[in-house]
Amino acid sequence: MQAGSSQLLNWILWMPMLGVLGVLLLPKDKKDWIRMWSLLNTALTLVFSVVLYMKFDNTVPGMQSPFNVVIPWIENFHIFYRLGVDGISLPMVMLTSLLFMICILSSWTIEKSVKAYFALFLFLQACIYGVFLSLDFFLFYVFWEVMLIPMFFLIGIWGGENREYAAVKFFLYTFFGSILMLVGMVALYYASGSNAESFNILALSGGKFTSLTINIFGSTFSFSKLFFVFMFIGFAIKVPVFPFHTWLPHAHVQAPTAISVILAGVLLKMGTYGFLRIAYPIFPEASVHFSSAIAWLGLINVIYGALCAMAQTDVKKLIAYSSVSHMGFVMLGLAAMTVQGMNGAVLQMFNHGTSTAMMFLLIGVLYERSHHRWIVRPDGTKGFGGLYTQLPRYSIIFIIAMFASMGLPGLSGFISEALIFLGIYERFTTITVLALFGLLIGAAYLLWMFKRMFFGEVIEECKEYTDMNAREIFYMLPLCAAVIIFGIYPAPVLNVMRASVGQLVSLLSNY
Amino acid sequence: MDYSFSNVALIALLPFFAFVINAFIVKKFTKLAVTISCLAIFSSFLLACRIFKDVVFDVYSSEFYVHKYFNWIDISSATIPFKINMGIYIDNMTAIMLLMVTGVATLIHVFSTYYMHDDARFGRFFVYMSLFTSAMLGLVLSDNLLSVFIFWELMGFCSYSLIGFYYEKEGAGNASMKAFMTTRVGDVFFLVGILAIWNIVGSVSFVDIYAALSQGKFAHDIMIFGLGIPVATFAAFSIFMGTIGKSAQFPLQVWLPDAMFGPTPCSALIHAATMVAAGVYLSLRMFPLMEAGHLLTFIAYIGAITAFGAATIALVQTDIKAVLAYSTISQLGYMVLGVGVGAYNASFMHLITHAVFKACLFLAAGSVIHSLHDHHTHEHVQEMPRMGGLRKKLPFTFIAMMCCTLAISGIPFFSGFVSKDRILGDALLAALHHKVMWVPAVLGFAAAFLTAFYMFRMMFLTFFGEPRDKELYEHMHEEHLQLNSNVPLLILSIFTLGVFYSGSLTGQGFIKVFKGNYEWFGTLVEKPHVANFQDHKRQLWTMDSSVDREEFKHSRYDEKHGKTEEEAHHVHQVHLIGALMSIVIAFSGVFLSFLMYGKKSLNPAFWTGLFSGWYRGLLNKYYFDTFYIKVVIQKMLLPLNNFLAFIDMGIYDRYAIDGWENVNRWFYTVAKWFDNLVVDTVAVDGTGASVRLFNVVLRTLQSGKIQFYFIMIILVLSSYIWAIGSN
Repeated sequence: MQAGSSQLLNWILWMPMLGVLGVLLLPKDKKDWIRMWSLLNTALTLVFSVVLYMKFDNTVPGMQSPFNVVIPWIENFHIFYRLGVDGISLPMVMLTSLLFMICILSSWTIEKSVKAYFALFLFLQACIYGVFLSLDFFLFYVFWEVMLIPMFFLIGIWGGENREYAAVKFFLYTFFGSILMLVGMVALYYASGSNAESFNILALSGGKFTSLTINIFGSTFSFSKLFFVFMFIGFAIKVPVFPFHTWLPHAHVQAPTAISVILAGVLLKMGTYGFLRIAYPIFPEASVHFSSAIAWLGLINVIYGALCAMAQTDVKKLIAYSSVSHMGFVMLGLAAMTVQGMNGAVLQMFNHGTSTAMMFLLIGVLYERSHHRWIVRPDGTKGFGGLYTQLPRYSIIFIIAMFASMGLPGLSGFISEALIFLGIYERFTTITVLALFGLLIGAAYLLWMFKRMFFGEVIEECKEYTDMNAREIFYMLPLCAAVIIFGIYPAPVLNVMRASVGQLVSLLSNY
Repeated sequence: MDYSFSNVALIALLPFFAFVINAFIVKKFTKLAVTISCLAIFSSFLLACRIFKDVVFDVYSSEFYVHKYFNWIDISSATIPFKINMGIYIDNMTAIMLLMVTGVATLIHVFSTYYMHDDARFGRFFVYMSLFTSAMLGLVLSDNLLSVFIFWELMGFCSYSLIGFYYEKEGAGNASMKAFMTTRVGDVFFLVGILAIWNIVGSVSFVDIYAALSQGKFAHDIMIFGLGIPVATFAAFSIFMGTIGKSAQFPLQVWLPDAMFGPTPCSALIHAATMVAAGVYLSLRMFPLMEAGHLLTFIAYIGAITAFGAATIALVQTDIKAVLAYSTISQLGYMVLGVGVGAYNASFMHLITHAVFKACLFLAAGSVIHSLHDHHTHEHVQEMPRMGGLRKKLPFTFIAMMCCTLAISGIPFFSGFVSKDRILGDALLAALHHKVMWVPAVLGFAAAFLTAFYMFRMMFLTFFGEPRDKELYEHMHEEHLQLNSNVPLLILSIFTLGVFYSGSLTGQGFIKVFKGNYEWFGTLVEKPHVANFQDHKRQLWTMDSSVDREEFKHSRYDEKHGKTEEEAHHVHQVHLIGALMSIVIAFSGVFLSFLMYGKKSLNPAFWTGLFSGWYRGLLNKYYFDTFYIKVVIQKMLLPLNNFLAFIDMGIYDRYAIDGWENVNRWFYTVAKWFDNLVVDTVAVDGTGASVRLFNVVLRTLQSGKIQFYFIMIILVLSSYIWAIGSN
């Protein structure tokens, strides 16, 4: 064990909180100071995450003991402050650190109450780390819920014209899921004997509740199946899994650029992370039992999301639906419960985070110039045209992002999708064959959008757009690099996750 | 020679490095970027020559292969192993392909420095070309289907970018999207095939698939959509769909003619010589699987229908590039027909000979187009009705194009005759054995007639007779011998001679071209004998892998191919008949073309008038585009999308989700009434708490007191659960 490692997770988690404190102390009118301070703060967090990555031992499955933190919190209810990191949470932590720093850079142009914006933004970051790092169910739940508050205000204050509706909708949707999760949590607490380990996620996992039954209104239910469904709905809303997806187009479209990026890049992954960390390990038998249902839902996500995306005339809404479709692939990988499928799912969570973040950032860049997002306006005229000629640098980065997101080999999306398909084909052949057509539609809506916006002659109003400036290119570069490098050589991500994912797969394969 | 990393991988990596460097410097140093691209592909060509020399001249064995791999993805856990390997597989076919691709690509690169030099995006063209050649070479070197798929898609991307090269034009966007999407239909099936094979073999490398086939692992059925399908058929069909997409076979042929929107050199390289042939290459590699899946008859039909159908459409085209595009589809159909009738090496030989003469034809067409500059519209002219009599002004282009036309028409002593004749001979043989194969055979011969006809029609319209657009003709410059314009054409046209590919004529020995044999091509390229791969050797591929070379027995061309004397005689006779028939057919095609367009004793307008219904059908490409775009996309897909999107936001979200608000409001009214009437008078009990809860929910909805909502919910639900749990 190396000295200093034990506090690393605390540093990562509380650094953004320190940032919030700093932002609050800075005077309101020193906007650039606030921005610089936030940037510095996220940069430091990123450094801590990189240190964590360097110190991470790829061979150890499960939690890495040098980093674990256990502090009693509310001892009467056996609630602990437990943090830990394993191969599943590390990629998510890295993704969060990277995206938040980039988002701070892209939020440079925010002028409306800068102080509150950055304070809430950093607060959101801390909550997300909390979700990915907690090993105590109660702590996890607290972060999961508290995160709604900054999100609610960030969408509700800095969003588009319909922001309040979107914010309330996002809030209530997630809250509905959270209640079910809460019920599950409390049930687990009592079922496991309400002792010191009753909120410990690791202690709860391993299929301890397989044979337990529960009586409700006189009928007997399998404890694990019932509460798996509760948990499933809670997490599925976050993913979002059909039919719980309708908050997403509203929230994405109304949210400011940086929040859309975080929503699509990180927040959606919290749902699938919940499956991997809580629902699957605690109820392995129920997970296997419901896996074909999960696969069908994933398939619906893939196809339905893609078909809906094709009908959109608002670019941001189109990409929002594409997220529904791409998260469907993650669900398929999770349903596969094989080494390939699960690794593919975690990798897809990471890759979708980078590629979709690029898409949303690029749309944000365009929006700052055009102040609209219509591919085709409601009156049938073109919203954009000839951007390829007008914005050459922008177009090249857009092409990279677009092809990464449609899974072109050589870019990151392909490997994760291929692994997922290799994994799921064994178990659900028909679903796989159908889901592959999602790839076809996926290419169709993106290329069609690209054709309508970028090809042809430059239309009149596009003639005054300026190409990307240095700041914008600067924050796109790390994502471009990630998309290309992990597309050719995915080992840096796969190596950290494979032991932990393998352990989970072994657990599931017992049922 | 040892097949170490530096000897082999560099073939594909050099153009890739050129791509990476050029991507950054192309804007400022265009000339340098172009030079780098050309040098890179030329160096690859030299490396490919080395491999070719080793494989063909030194080893000279039909059984030779090298398989080396490295680990790409390893996600094995403690208990479950899972690895994906990548590697190289070099046999005679690879060596010949490498030489063809690098050679043709080098010449096309050189030609492009002439053709593209006054284009605004001169440098960027070479960036894409470098990426493309690198992907194509990677595909040829691949040892497994997954990396074939990866490079296959990368080529698709390059094709997309190059078709959309003139992105200011609206049509470019449509054409490039159409090309990408149509081939992707095939690609999706290809991926299904890869998954099916992986599931059985546990790997997708060629040698493992061959080994699995010889062990009979593909014998069971698979359940798809509730149907039991033999897994070999399922996998073979899926893989072959990839071929259909990429090689523009019926019914996915629609994209290739539109792909001519790109610059002509890219049409020559990508949409004629290399990428589209990759589909056939894939089918050849997977030939044992196609055989095991009993798919050959289907393949033969697809190939023959494509060969014939495309040839008929080519009859009525007036755009010189469109004629060549349809002739490409038609020739690819021949190759696929060859696969279907089991003419393994003839099909591959046609792939190579076609690559050479079709690249040359496209470059020559490019040369014609480039020299015809309309001073009114400032565009280059591609329409044949405005040409005519160009042979005086473009003598070198004319010579090159004539050689290639003779080759593609199947005139003896030219390369096209050698390869096409064998495919047709085998088709005839197959027809004599199975009645069902008569259709492909007859269509094949008919297409040969049409090929000779429309190719000479193109020649007559372009180079003979009087100039039909006098002004255009007068503005033309005389062609001079120039290193980067017509020399590549002349080099390619030399290789349209049949003697480079075979020393036989109509199946008879003619010249002993190689090591005392009549044949080298036919000797070296043989169907993979799957039994040989039962215990195949493979090595880890590292930077310095110098391992002892295996000994392979030198081939000796066995004319009989393991058949009895009687069978061999029969085969020989059928081939002779086939060859004579195809000679007669080719010459009659040329003659008819001469009558119509050379001597003009037959009036084409009379015939088009006579068959006006057919003529309209041909002009509309048998209405495939109309059907796909107007019916499938505009009438089916887009309405479905709009319908779903409307259901999603307009119905489901609006009523099923937001509708809860109304339910809540109603409940609120009831609860308030209940609150006032019951709870206030009766003591608060367990039931009251739940009503109060909803009350709070609703008040929160109105007032936004979310914190209170939190606390209440946690308290109430905890107590419920506790109550349930304690039961």
